[in-house]
Amino acid sequence: MSDCMLRLQSVTKRFGTTMAAESVSLEVGQTELFALLGPSGSGKTTLLRIIAGLDAPDEGRVLIGGRDVTRLPPYRRGIGMVFQDFLLFPHKTVAENIAFPLKMQGKSRAETADDLKWVSQLVRLTGLEERYPHELSGGQKQRVALARGLVSRPSLLLLDEPLANLDRELRKRMEVEIRRFQLELGIPFIYVTHNQEEALTMASRMAVMREGCLEQIGDKLALYHRPATAFVAAFLGSPNTFEGDVVGVEDGRAEIAWHGHRFWSRAHDGLAPGLRAVCYVKSEKIAFASSGAALAGRLRDTIFKGQYADYLVCLDDGHEITVSAAPDLCHRPGEAVGITWAADDGDAFPAVGKE
Amino acid sequence: MNHRSGFGVQVLLLAALYLFLYGPILYVIYVSFQIDSIWPFPPTLTLEHHTDLWQRRDYHAALWNSVTIGFGTGLIATLFATLAAMAILKYRSPGSGLVAGLFLAPLFIAPILIGISSLMFSRTVLGMPGSIFGATLANSTYATAFALLVVLAQFARYDWRLDDAAMVFGARPWRTFWEITLPITWPAMLGAFIVSFLLAFNNLEISFYNLGATPTLPTLAWGALRHGISAELYALAAIINFAVFALFTVLYLLLRLGTIRID
Repeated sequence: MSDCMLRLQSVTKRFGTTMAAESVSLEVGQTELFALLGPSGSGKTTLLRIIAGLDAPDEGRVLIGGRDVTRLPPYRRGIGMVFQDFLLFPHKTVAENIAFPLKMQGKSRAETADDLKWVSQLVRLTGLEERYPHELSGGQKQRVALARGLVSRPSLLLLDEPLANLDRELRKRMEVEIRRFQLELGIPFIYVTHNQEEALTMASRMAVMREGCLEQIGDKLALYHRPATAFVAAFLGSPNTFEGDVVGVEDGRAEIAWHGHRFWSRAHDGLAPGLRAVCYVKSEKIAFASSGAALAGRLRDTIFKGQYADYLVCLDDGHEITVSAAPDLCHRPGEAVGITWAADDGDAFPAVGKE
Repeated sequence: MNHRSGFGVQVLLLAALYLFLYGPILYVIYVSFQIDSIWPFPPTLTLEHHTDLWQRRDYHAALWNSVTIGFGTGLIATLFATLAAMAILKYRSPGSGLVAGLFLAPLFIAPILIGISSLMFSRTVLGMPGSIFGATLANSTYATAFALLVVLAQFARYDWRLDDAAMVFGARPWRTFWEITLPITWPAMLGAFIVSFLLAFNNLEISFYNLGATPTLPTLAWGALRHGISAELYALAAIINFAVFALFTVLYLLLRLGTIRID
């Protein structure tokens, strides 16, 4: 990557016997909003702390703007950060909180005033300068935290689960705003979250982490539609899982036998006839079909979700499959339905650790 | 009915417990204002013992020495306790429990042993005769443990990630302490100072062994006891109790204020 702003090289960190990061390498470009997605305990916050300098890696290097900062303390890295739970300084006013990075840099009063004005307008905070953090709403705290992270125009902004404590409405608004800040400022944002909706909404590229390892890294659409590992396939979206036997493999496709049914799916490394396989099909990629359906069953229930609905289809042999589709399909509970999906919409991986 | 009588019993129990805790102290204060301190009933008020006490020059010197030892001990113990508490809570490590345990262990050593052993140590090993300085240091060993308890209790509620935030935004460690940690946690340190000040101010055993003939209020009172309980001692006890009560009121208010600011 030619405009690489952040580069991690084989970063490894152990806490006792736990691997918080295992040989993690990644690059983030100058204008990217990069999401690190993973379940809690996957090591994503540790990775962020290593980038910030709050934790030192056991092995590997951290480069920011081409400069090796692995051994630099946090206060000499010149990066901004938005913390989980905001971490506003409770004894300082909003203005003092936001101006803190400038104060540490020894900026003059005039410069500080200019920067404060600029950032307050950017995050729309004007008028709250003299309040204390405990007098602010959750959304206002979030804006102050963002303003404090951005005010010194850092070369990189780290965001650690910044929206985890906001209600749904506010979270959606802030998702859009954070994207806007990133576009306006043109600096890389590295966004850690366990919420895939957030990651998929905001990021341009993303990485999925699991137990200290990067499972997959790339364009968010690629991760969503073309998962490279079983973990990513199972983690993103809400997939249906079919565990069956591999009947044959040809041309990058595998034929899976599952409870007397047979269907094709994209085959990933390690599949061979006779082996067990797990196949993931995202629920919105399954469609109702009146003829040529792969599977037949009866509609058990419809879960209305607003913009879409989850149709729970009970197959004749008792297995249940979720189909996400437009909410206005006039299927009645008990009605016979057929469902199907394209071979490329299934991802089959070797089954591990199961009978 | 049953409920009401239960409430009455609770109030009675509480009153009895407070009487147990404060009865003797209140009695001493009461006696200090009575003409007849041997059998002070019925009450006949007087300020005579207090004015007598005020005229005793030796008590003035002793008060000054006690305040000096208390102040010095308060400063040393608060400094050490703050550093130790940060080591234990901010920079957690597998050995934190042991570190804390070794700092708190002096709580379980009898003060008289600390008195004797610190005297022997400074005489024999350091070649230092008993002095106010030595007494301050000896009191500090004991007071640091108490101060640490106070600081730990308050620091446990402090969110150390605030320090992380300050560091990321460019504050060096000392600046972080000055800008963030101290303004939020100062009541903890003031509390530790007051507690260790009082411990050293009131201490008899440690100070006595390390001071030789130099008087402090407790050693002077202890010496005076050998000639029977004089009425000035009641007055002294009353005044010290008032002062301690006032200090603890300040401490309480500060800790209340502190929690409000932390939340």
